[in-house]
Amino acid sequence: MSARERVVLDAAPSLGALYAKAAGSRLRALLPGGQAAGGTLPEIEHRLEALVADPARLVDYQRLMGDTVRDTLPSVFVHGMVFPVAMSVMVREDFPLPLLGMVHLSNRVNHLRPIPASATLSATAWAANLREHRAGTQLDLVVEVSEGGEPVWRGVSTYLARGIWPGSRPGAPSEARAPFTIPARTASWKLAADTGRTYAAVLGDYNPIHLSAASAKALGMKRAIAHGMYLAGRALAGAAPQDAGYDWEIEFATPVFLPSTVDVGYEDRGDHMVFSGWGARSGKPHFSGSITTHPDGPASRA
Amino acid sequence: MADKYLELVNSGFTKKLAKSLGAPRPAILRRYAPGAPLLPGPLLLLGNSSAAQDLADTLLGWGLDVRRHASGESQLGGIILLLDELADPAELSEPMLAAGAALRRLAPGGRVVSFSRPALDTDAPAVAAVRQGIDGTMRSLGREMRGGATANGIVLAEGISVTAPSALAALHFLLSGRSAYVDGQFIAVDSVDGTLPESFDKPLAGKVAVVTGAARGIGAAIAQTLHRDGATVVVVDVPAAGDALARVANRVSGTALQLDVTRADAGEKIIEHARSRHGALDIVIHNAGITRDKLLANMDAVRWDSVIAVNISSQLAMNEAFLAAKLPGLRIVSLASTSGIAGNRGQTNYAASKGGVIGMVRASAAAFAANGGGINAVAPGFIETDMTAKIPLATRAVARMLMPSLMQGGLPLDVAEAIGFLASDAAAGINGRTLRVCGQSLVGA
Amino acid sequence: MSDQTQAIRPAVIIGGNRIPFARSNGAYSKASNQDMLTAALDGLIARFGLQGQRLGAVSAGAVLKHSKDFNLVRESVLGTSLSARTPAYDVQMACATGMEAIGSLANKIKLGQIDSGIGGGVDTTSDAPIAVSEGLRAVLMDLSRARTTGAKLKAVSRFRPRDLAPNAPGTGEPRTGLSMGDHQAITTKAWNISRTAQDELALASHKNLAAAYERNFFDDLITPFAGVSKDTNMRADSSLEKLATLKPAFGKNLGAEATMTAGNSTPLTDGASVVLLGSEDYAREHDLPMLANFVDFEAAAVDFVHGAEGLLMAPTYAVARILERNNLSLQDFDFYEIHEAFAGTVLATLAAWEDAEFCKNKLGLDAPLGAIDRSRLNVNGSSLAAGHPFAATGGRIVASLAKMLHEKGSGRGLISVCAAGGQGVVAILEAR
Repeated sequence: MSARERVVLDAAPSLGALYAKAAGSRLRALLPGGQAAGGTLPEIEHRLEALVADPARLVDYQRLMGDTVRDTLPSVFVHGMVFPVAMSVMVREDFPLPLLGMVHLSNRVNHLRPIPASATLSATAWAANLREHRAGTQLDLVVEVSEGGEPVWRGVSTYLARGIWPGSRPGAPSEARAPFTIPARTASWKLAADTGRTYAAVLGDYNPIHLSAASAKALGMKRAIAHGMYLAGRALAGAAPQDAGYDWEIEFATPVFLPSTVDVGYEDRGDHMVFSGWGARSGKPHFSGSITTHPDGPASRA
Repeated sequence: MADKYLELVNSGFTKKLAKSLGAPRPAILRRYAPGAPLLPGPLLLLGNSSAAQDLADTLLGWGLDVRRHASGESQLGGIILLLDELADPAELSEPMLAAGAALRRLAPGGRVVSFSRPALDTDAPAVAAVRQGIDGTMRSLGREMRGGATANGIVLAEGISVTAPSALAALHFLLSGRSAYVDGQFIAVDSVDGTLPESFDKPLAGKVAVVTGAARGIGAAIAQTLHRDGATVVVVDVPAAGDALARVANRVSGTALQLDVTRADAGEKIIEHARSRHGALDIVIHNAGITRDKLLANMDAVRWDSVIAVNISSQLAMNEAFLAAKLPGLRIVSLASTSGIAGNRGQTNYAASKGGVIGMVRASAAAFAANGGGINAVAPGFIETDMTAKIPLATRAVARMLMPSLMQGGLPLDVAEAIGFLASDAAAGINGRTLRVCGQSLVGA
Repeated sequence: MSDQTQAIRPAVIIGGNRIPFARSNGAYSKASNQDMLTAALDGLIARFGLQGQRLGAVSAGAVLKHSKDFNLVRESVLGTSLSARTPAYDVQMACATGMEAIGSLANKIKLGQIDSGIGGGVDTTSDAPIAVSEGLRAVLMDLSRARTTGAKLKAVSRFRPRDLAPNAPGTGEPRTGLSMGDHQAITTKAWNISRTAQDELALASHKNLAAAYERNFFDDLITPFAGVSKDTNMRADSSLEKLATLKPAFGKNLGAEATMTAGNSTPLTDGASVVLLGSEDYAREHDLPMLANFVDFEAAAVDFVHGAEGLLMAPTYAVARILERNNLSLQDFDFYEIHEAFAGTVLATLAAWEDAEFCKNKLGLDAPLGAIDRSRLNVNGSSLAAGHPFAATGGRIVASLAKMLHEKGSGRGLISVCAAGGQGVVAILEAR
């Protein structure tokens, strides 16, 4: 890690500008002979200091997720705050994969302790673990967030660039997925057509694939799809502990096209809670994940 | 109940117009209000009965200005004709002509009340003649009255004094506004039973009264009147009328009992409710009734049987329960109808039930008297209710004016006043009788 | 207060009144909560001659309430012939509102704080509050806060035509987005409750309710309203064959395994109910009947959000606790009144009490609570037939059970009412 070169950003990059830049690289990638499939990640990390949550946005976020408005930061909101830093890494000229059209596979987050809404945070982001996937190339975007030098949040987002391989295309898929059986339903989310726009308005993630059917089609999607982090935020709202650190992860199986109804199942397994979401109509899995409260924290629920 | 026609023909320009056109001008009747004077002017007491002085003393005690001579020109509130000791038709001349001379001075809403004896088969022919003659002459006088004034009589059984409690109570009732729609009628007093109330404004103080069919119309008016007169009132009606019943109960600070009176245990339920919730049962008003009008030629069993079941069979059954419970001093007033006396087209079933009531009270009188109580009926004529209000105005105006001397329909309140009177302890000397509240309609006796 | 234990006196159920329950958007579609609660109170006042009385308290509530109805119960009391000096307050505990209102009144009577009171509830889904959209609400709020023309224009400029779409309240659980029926479908399946068993329970409810009307059971429990004198949902002529033809309405995600239909689930209903309670002295002084003692009540809640327990299973826990506190067994009752939110709710509740594993692991009992005599269950019908105007159900049950116990002359009755939010209230009544 110490080997990485650190770039300190002056201010949070605008996601809009980043997407515009990414669109350019996407275009480059589509040009004949422009295939960007470099084999290595830049040994560099981007850092942003003095990040403070916008209280109004925090309230908007908590309302959007149906969560209680509190003066601590929800884990997914932290992700949203530092996402531009991660993005800035992925739109670097020397980044080997095109950002746009990249598929979000999973997140693993260590929310180390409750983070006050007023906290002044710094975030450091880098890419790592470029590796092969049966459908293309995947890599991790790691972001570490600290308050006054103390780490408070660490997230690893795994992305897939479809149809792009670091080397030659591998043969058969390495392992078949276990068949999905629908768990007991405990909730049902009705996601409106404007879910992506609403989320984008709160957290600034204006990725065109989430905004409208038209903008999504331009990027090869048949309809707009829900933000993965919106789904994660909904899953955590009301389930994540408020008064303790916790680890959570989410894995995305198939995209949630908008509008649609997602059936959700929670199951309390004692030391951790698992959840999953699937198409109410299709029965196809959309996501699954878990929340594990740190044992030293107070028991969040009986 | 506001009546446009009545208002119009009795006020200002329209009054003059109605007069010049010869349109019937029914008077606005003098009705009772607590605290109002008993009569609208002095009382002229005619006739030389031996009880005249005692009666005059009592009347003075009621706050009346009593005159024994028809002299003067001042307005009169009422005339009492003491005819109880007449023995020959020739003796009628003096008091009747004196009354006639005074009639022009009778105030609107004035009263003429006679005292007489019943004509019996055992009477000497001349005695029977004058007694029966009084019946005819008073009824005719009733037809002559104007301005809402009425003429009625009190018939005292042999040996009963003019000052017997029920005679006085009947007189007080007939003089007061409570008898506004009673006209051309006789009230028979058969015994010296009865106690005059401490206050004629609260004649039912301390009594527990049950009124059936009390959710609306005449029943609701009865409940309100009994409450006004001091009774604690239990209102009864079928469960389906419970909301209207509750409103009546709450208006009269009573209790509501949702009960179909045709149920076999209706009498027991009423006794149980009245006793457990109010400690006694003193008065029952059998008012619940239905009409299912149809010409007999088109009558079906459902229409016939339901009317009989509700209007008379239920009363017979409940009365048995009341008698079995030996309720001391229980006074019952049952609703008959002039249809039961004079008949009415399309009401063969209804008239059977209402005629039945008249027969029932006559035949039940002795049994109720055995426990110190009594049973009587009231037979209303054309009464303005929610039901009759639906008849078109013109038809209604004609229907009500063609028939009665008072040229108008009565109000539920008028029926209720008569019932309140008969339900009071003061009326204990009256038993097994039917009093008509009909404004002296042409039908019937 | 001294450290001496204050004597607890009995709280007596004197009687009740309700208006007939009517299916939503039917006979009562123009009636408000206040109209219906006032009518129910009027009937009770008339039945017991309470005109002009100053009662200790009137406690009731509604689940769906207009904001203008912030003082619903007090406003209703002011419209009756009760003394205007009678205090009143609103209670809200979803479908257990009526039970909570009545139970807490009973406690005040037991403690001697009040001598008399009326508890109950009312609900309408026909006259439900419709709110402006969140977007329009935000604009209006900002507009009302704006001081300058510029700020006002700015607030107004944020208005979007789609904000005109109103918000109607749903019966869905806010935290799960699932309707109550879909929640129950999870529980119904988990307890393997068959379609036939549910339909049979529904049929029994209709038959029992119709029979109760037939023998005039409700003559002193119901006062008609708006031209209705019987519960409009009741289908005396229902049959298993007819019920079997109905398509699943809930748990449709279960496909062929879906068992819950409109026939074995309660419909949305409008109505109101109230119960008169008092101390023994109060009842005696006013020559009022004493039908039953309100012995005890207990509330419980479960974590349904994360799938730990079924949404409507809280009463199973509450019953275990109230039985222990009163040193009774589940079999010590002559009548069981288990609110039929869904036939599946009742059957899952009964199954859970019979299940050794559930009773051990969930209720912490050594032995299962066991089976009940089904002939003592909802003997005069329950919500499947009568309908279920949320807050009004508690009053319906308490008044009916008190009358049943009084008619029998001895014994106990157990009430179990489940509620939204994974809650439930249960109570014990004792005949007098």
